[in-house]
Amino acid sequence: MLGHPSNRTARVWRWTVGSGVALLVLATVHMIAQHFVVGGTGGLRTYQQVLDYLANPVIFVLECGFLFAVTIHGLLGLRGILLDLSPGPRLRQWIDPGLWVLGTLTISYGLVLLITLAIRA
Amino acid sequence: MSGSPAAELPGTADRAAPGPVHHKGPGPAPSGWLDPRGRGLGGRTFALHRITGIALLVYLYVHLGVLSMLLIGRSAWGDFLSVVTAKGFLAFDVVLMFGLLFHAFNGIRVALVGSGVAVSHQRALFWAATVIGAPLLVYAALHVFGGT
Repeated sequence: MLGHPSNRTARVWRWTVGSGVALLVLATVHMIAQHFVVGGTGGLRTYQQVLDYLANPVIFVLECGFLFAVTIHGLLGLRGILLDLSPGPRLRQWIDPGLWVLGTLTISYGLVLLITLAIRA
Repeated sequence: MSGSPAAELPGTADRAAPGPVHHKGPGPAPSGWLDPRGRGLGGRTFALHRITGIALLVYLYVHLGVLSMLLIGRSAWGDFLSVVTAKGFLAFDVVLMFGLLFHAFNGIRVALVGSGVAVSHQRALFWAATVIGAPLLVYAALHVFGGT
């Protein structure tokens, strides 16, 4: 599906760097807006503060983008580490589908969490 | 035997492809990345980059699990806050911030070098990242502990 291995390597590299650059922005926004502008309780928001925060449509979109970027970046990194362990051909063929499933489940659950909390606000 | 000698070296195609520096030259097997023996600054930061990456990926799932308490309700989240704002737990936050900052700044360095930009300035980039990252870590630690 991804074509020649060297094309695949270049594509994975571009996605890793691209999601990493996105994370630099989105993680910074997340950390500052979610933790560093909050006084008290060690930079953690109270229940109502979390709901109010996610009720902001701009923040909601940014948090969704953060979820996508961090999942893609993290699982691509995990893929590289797994492939460096030199798995056999049978195990190797399960790595990409397994990571796709894990990534889909992660993003789906994260979106359910974000949408549910935004609706509650 | 035809073609230039360089074209016959194993892994020539991999080295020509865009990617992290460790794919571009000879050296220890990639699977031995965790072993720091005989490594220079680049090899050690590569290992720490991966270790922090694994830790942050684990933290992502812990974070999603913890945030599930918000679904239970206000009291569950309040109980959780009372536990994680203890000084021992806040120390974990500082370790997390170190992991985040190191992975982010070293990631910029790896992306620049792996993309062919500033290849000859790896060491300078590392020290620049350290100079910028260290005060940020101190600020984050002061914020985390100052907020209790």
